[in-house]
Amino acid sequence: MERFTVKAIQNMLSEKQISATELFDLYRSRIADYDQSLNAFITSDIQPNAAYMTDDQDQESPIDFALTGIPYAAKDIFCTQGIKTTCGSKMLENFIPPYDATVVRRLKRQGAVLLGKTNMDEFAMGSSSETSYFGSVHNPWDIERTPGGSSGGSAAAVAAGLTPIALGTDTGGSIRQPAAFTGITGLKPTYGRCSRYGMVAFASSLDQAGILALSAEDTAIFLESMAGFDPLDSTSVEESVPQYSQYLEENIKGKIIGLPKEFFDGSLGSAYEALIAESINSYKKLGIVFKEISLPNIGYSVPTYYVVAPAECSSNLARYDGVRFGYRSQNIEDLDEFYRTNRQIGFGQEVKRRIITGTYVLSAGYYDAYYLKAQKVRQLINQDFARAFESVDIILGPTTQTAAFKLGEKIDDPVSMYMNDMYTISANLAGLPAISHPIGFVENLPYGLQLIAPHFKELDLLSLTHQYQKVTDWHQAVPRLLQSSEGND
Amino acid sequence: MTITKSDIEHICDLSKLNLDDDEVPIYLQQMTDILEMIEQLQSADTNEIIPMAHPLDMHQRLREDIVTETNHRDIYQKNSSHVEEGFYKVPKVIE
Amino acid sequence: MHWETVIGLEIHVQLACDSKIFSSASTAYGKEQNTQASLIDLGYPGVLPVLNKEVVMMAIKFGLAVDAEIAELSIFARKNYFYPDLPKGYQISQYELPIVSGGQLFITLDNGTEKRIGITRAHLEEDAGKSIHDKFPGASAIDLNRAGTPLLEIVSEPELSSAKEATLYMQKIHQLVRYLKISDGNMQEGSFRCDANVSLKPKDNTELGTRAEIKNINSFRFIENAINYEVERQKEILEQGGSVVQETRLYDSDAGETRSMRTKEEANDYRYFPDPDLLPVKIDKEIIETIAASLPELFNQKVDRYVKTLSIKPVDATAIAKNIELAEYFEDALNTYNGNPQLLANWLITEVMAILNKDKIEIASLSISAKSVSQLIQRIDDGTISSTIAKNIFSQLIESEMSVDELIKDQGLEQISDTNEIEQVIRIVLNENQEQRDQYLAGKEQVLGFLIGKVMQKTQGKANPKLVNDLMVEILSNH
Repeated sequence: MERFTVKAIQNMLSEKQISATELFDLYRSRIADYDQSLNAFITSDIQPNAAYMTDDQDQESPIDFALTGIPYAAKDIFCTQGIKTTCGSKMLENFIPPYDATVVRRLKRQGAVLLGKTNMDEFAMGSSSETSYFGSVHNPWDIERTPGGSSGGSAAAVAAGLTPIALGTDTGGSIRQPAAFTGITGLKPTYGRCSRYGMVAFASSLDQAGILALSAEDTAIFLESMAGFDPLDSTSVEESVPQYSQYLEENIKGKIIGLPKEFFDGSLGSAYEALIAESINSYKKLGIVFKEISLPNIGYSVPTYYVVAPAECSSNLARYDGVRFGYRSQNIEDLDEFYRTNRQIGFGQEVKRRIITGTYVLSAGYYDAYYLKAQKVRQLINQDFARAFESVDIILGPTTQTAAFKLGEKIDDPVSMYMNDMYTISANLAGLPAISHPIGFVENLPYGLQLIAPHFKELDLLSLTHQYQKVTDWHQAVPRLLQSSEGND
Repeated sequence: MTITKSDIEHICDLSKLNLDDDEVPIYLQQMTDILEMIEQLQSADTNEIIPMAHPLDMHQRLREDIVTETNHRDIYQKNSSHVEEGFYKVPKVIE
Repeated sequence: MHWETVIGLEIHVQLACDSKIFSSASTAYGKEQNTQASLIDLGYPGVLPVLNKEVVMMAIKFGLAVDAEIAELSIFARKNYFYPDLPKGYQISQYELPIVSGGQLFITLDNGTEKRIGITRAHLEEDAGKSIHDKFPGASAIDLNRAGTPLLEIVSEPELSSAKEATLYMQKIHQLVRYLKISDGNMQEGSFRCDANVSLKPKDNTELGTRAEIKNINSFRFIENAINYEVERQKEILEQGGSVVQETRLYDSDAGETRSMRTKEEANDYRYFPDPDLLPVKIDKEIIETIAASLPELFNQKVDRYVKTLSIKPVDATAIAKNIELAEYFEDALNTYNGNPQLLANWLITEVMAILNKDKIEIASLSISAKSVSQLIQRIDDGTISSTIAKNIFSQLIESEMSVDELIKDQGLEQISDTNEIEQVIRIVLNENQEQRDQYLAGKEQVLGFLIGKVMQKTQGKANPKLVNDLMVEILSNH
């Protein structure tokens, strides 16, 4: 079974080798055949017409069909008009938004076709896609393992060829870590690059919409259409959107990549270290220069994040009370009991844990010691990056400590699960764009490398990755699930 | 900072969560572990550092005072099972 | 034991914007439930707030008018608590770094002295929706039309020492927000709401006593009653050696007492933190200067101008300027009037206000235009009609489509100023009322009024009263 890139599909469609409907049906049947073992999708019975439903608020007519007929999947955290949006939670099990998220609307306007809504950690809280109310997602490389989280469904679907490309969200690494665990490319853009309107909020100052794809080129093609200022999002930035896909071949010779010594302190297993060393060599051959740098406060990333993110989420999730939408218990006469029961039944354990943590760190007596302190440490981390970028163009590090772990391995040990995010979190704290791309295998499991750039330098990330992907083929390796499949398409 | 059972109960009051009796000790242990991890922050030197609320040094955009929203009540209320005469209904609030 | 009353007022003013503070839904009052609640007002998943510019401008206007400091950078914060009329489970408000801080207002006490009342801060926030508890059995009905309406919360220093002072302060703020046109101040519709924090302390103690908060006072009459009741209540407790409970109380206007509210927010810890969906609001000096330059004339300036430039008596100037709409009506009339402004002012204070009071309407609903009033007074001034006739015409103007001049012509209401004509009538009246004539001649001067009245009657009120008076006296003296 072949995994078609978006680029390839664009050619196939323009050369009329296949029609958009045939393409859609092709992916639809792949999902039907293979998703049982992955559980990557929550909703996959979307009719193409539904994807083209006009939004009565959308007055503009499409001016440029950059993505005509390209199927894509969206993490079930993106509101899709008329289509169930669950956030992997019982709380929103039957929620049908009357509006599209801005990024969804933009893709729709460019002619992209929504295939399905992918499974995820509940309300994006998790690093393994095991906290979903709709069951865990499985890694197509080894179905006993996690594909990562919280955008595990999107990652698994792309890696397994069930969709050419998918949207995800990244708050602490939720696009990059699953990309690394499933051997694909995952981009978290600069905070404010893509609109957050219609993207259900987890941690507002950290969340960003992003892309999981088979290549940097595909990522660039979609980013062009998704990114850009949105007046509906006060945190979105009025920064022009480059035609990323046109500049992937830009000259990268002489670019300086910084290697933070804190990332390379010897704690990584030797097999992983070897892969990173090999990719550094590949980059050197492309003309990249490397330099050691220091991000002295980076070790505080995880505790900082686990104060800020839960604090914001505890407030963001207060709206889920069963009154206007969402899970609602019947026959309760006391208001307080009503709220509590709705939220007890509607939310899973990780969500409750984060709400409790967040409420605690904001509560009277603790605000200064925790929340305020964390926001100050965040500033320290931001300053570290700013200083580093004075002497380097890009920063390189591992995406994860190891390859994908087994399902069930960490679910009862929250702190151990949280430590998974140690390399990825700092980019969210500083709002920096970051990408993960595959660099090889350890015991037949994919492993990834992370590049972090200054604000709005997504092009550097994409061109470096693209040129790396021209001289390597890790990103083209196909999971066993597909290799063992028979099936003609 | 050690967290106690009554702390958890108070937090649940504030955030309108219910925990089963047998869940409480588990949450208590997990919260203790999490707080221990967070405690690491205290060793950071943040003297004279301004807290960062946003990654970008931006200011709030202002919107013109024009009404553009029209009535979509019937569509919006489709997501609630307890609506009567256009009102949302909740268990009676006693003041 | 001498107890001193300490009162601080928190006034919530709904700002007169067309759209809400964070969404583009309408703020119009009285619409069918939930027809003006947008996705943002409903707190749907994934929606985000965007700040209304006009709201910021109005807050700045207020700050400038009370000599306060306008924050160069101000922050919106989330106030977290659960209540059915609060869709997001938090209210977007301001905590640290409010848009306006410091400030002052002067109230004029009964003895004529001025007292300065400090204003601690004024901040922006969104209003909650409304709950109706008696519409459905066993359930509360929630209407979120009001959710997201912009509010300016104005907090006074605890420097008010009596219910009377509190009322004066509340009235002053009410007048100011209407003058600035940032609010219609309509208390029945909830655009202007007042909470009072009341405590007592022994005289000469510096430490403040425990305070109780009286919520949602929506009339000037109620505030005085409510505070007086509360002061007595607390005094009784304290004098018996008890202590006042810090709590929220509601004023029951029928019973004339304050009652403890079931603690809905007492134990609440609002966990304020800066709202991550909104960025710091930056206000440049240029914006402040532009707004300062365009501030309307305020009450004190207006009274001053009326007295100094228009030579209107201070008590009359105050009476007119008190209500900005009345003042604007007056100034409108002045535009087409070239007589003595005092005469116009007199008419406004007597005849116009009488109608407003009788029909219980606001000046905006008066069907007589300012121009008509100025014409009317003009015609008195130039002798065309007498003031008595003017009153007649004025009451006709309420219903009539005709102008002042048309009415005068149509009904032949011109004043009779012909001395001969008047003399004739006088002689007839004297003839018909010989008893009174003789009484006058015998020295009973009050009877003159009766005789003049008869002349006015005979001329249907059209005779020039002064002329009648002068001629009558002359004729009688020559008798």
